[in-house]
Amino acid sequence: MILTKAFWCGCAAAGFGILFNTPTRALFSIWLGGFAAGLIKFLALDPVLGAGIVLSSFLGGIMAGIVAISLAQWREVPHILIALPSVIPLVPGVPAYRAMMGLMKLARQSGTEYTNVISDTVYNGVMVLFVILAITFGLSIPLIALRIPFIKSLLPKKPPVA
Amino acid sequence: MQEVPAIEPKTFGSLLLDMAIMLLRAGASGRRIRNTISQIALAYQYSYFIDLGPKSISITLLDNQAHSVFNGTRSTQWYGVDFKVISAIHRMTSAIAIHPWSIEEIKREILRLQKLPGYSRILILLAVSIGGAAFCYSLGGHFGEMAVTFGATFCGLFVKQELQKRSLNIYVVTYICALVAAMFTGAFYIAHIGIRLENAYATCALFLIPGVPLINSIIDLMDGNILYGIERGVNAMMHAFAIAFGLLTALFIYITPG
Repeated sequence: MILTKAFWCGCAAAGFGILFNTPTRALFSIWLGGFAAGLIKFLALDPVLGAGIVLSSFLGGIMAGIVAISLAQWREVPHILIALPSVIPLVPGVPAYRAMMGLMKLARQSGTEYTNVISDTVYNGVMVLFVILAITFGLSIPLIALRIPFIKSLLPKKPPVA
Repeated sequence: MQEVPAIEPKTFGSLLLDMAIMLLRAGASGRRIRNTISQIALAYQYSYFIDLGPKSISITLLDNQAHSVFNGTRSTQWYGVDFKVISAIHRMTSAIAIHPWSIEEIKREILRLQKLPGYSRILILLAVSIGGAAFCYSLGGHFGEMAVTFGATFCGLFVKQELQKRSLNIYVVTYICALVAAMFTGAFYIAHIGIRLENAYATCALFLIPGVPLINSIIDLMDGNILYGIERGVNAMMHAFAIAFGLLTALFIYITPG
């Protein structure tokens, strides 16, 4: 089940790669990045590990960054071109939808239920914000680490470009 | 030491501005633009100053005696996402850093990049629709919901491609496309064919999510490109609001009467 979800995460990432006009040679790398990010996210979300949605998205973001750095030189593209579409499937669509539904309910709700609706809406809205921040920070960590000379020296040297 | 071809500063500065503005239009982060200009200017032994605005770029080139030899500014009205351009300029920059090209070679390459073909329209429609359906599955949707999401994404993106030809306000385009995608999804809900609304609704407008500007804005803020980062972030938020209003409009149309 987790593998199937990760497979479809890869497909979603590759689809968005085409939307962003990514070079064809990088599409498989994007699929791999999306697959790896989805795999880590859904593994972390598994009840055995019990990580929350924010932590699992953060780990997924880190994984997408690592895959992007590993494959970017091989495909001769900047790593951000692989990393960005790879994390698009981690975007928290359902909490965002619930937050919007809550906003709509607020416009016509009154009485004792009002407090519950506010509570749910704020919860979902804050969840969306934190998940997006977690994805971005997760993605940025490997990219920032790449600027550290020691880590940079571990990567293979750039081949000469024809 | 590497032999550097003779290059006239005004022509060189103008080409640098061309490259920088192409990167800006293609959705590159501020750091990428600065790095590209830096690598190319240094390859030809020029010092430089660069001022990065939200929609404009100014470059000053200095010769080896620190005399200003070029000042120029260029601006753009719009920007989107085009990874082929970013990738091609990245390769060109790497090549120039190893062996500086002649001015004619750089000009030829920039002309080629300006005419780079994109993917065919039908391929984009199909790939993004499959991506939307895949997204729906990963959020817990079943195959029926995936099919609806595929259709909604296809219709919404088709409308977006048509509206983009008509120079409409970009946020209005996002609103209309989100509305079309949500109306498509809602039609199946109203028809009572057993489609759960939540997963399909949550994913039908994901092709509109400004993921690249949103992530770029955080990266730019972390790099200290504050104005550039804030502009990108606010632009992304405006798109997100337009999507939310589109989905809310469809929900009001379908749910409120009931």
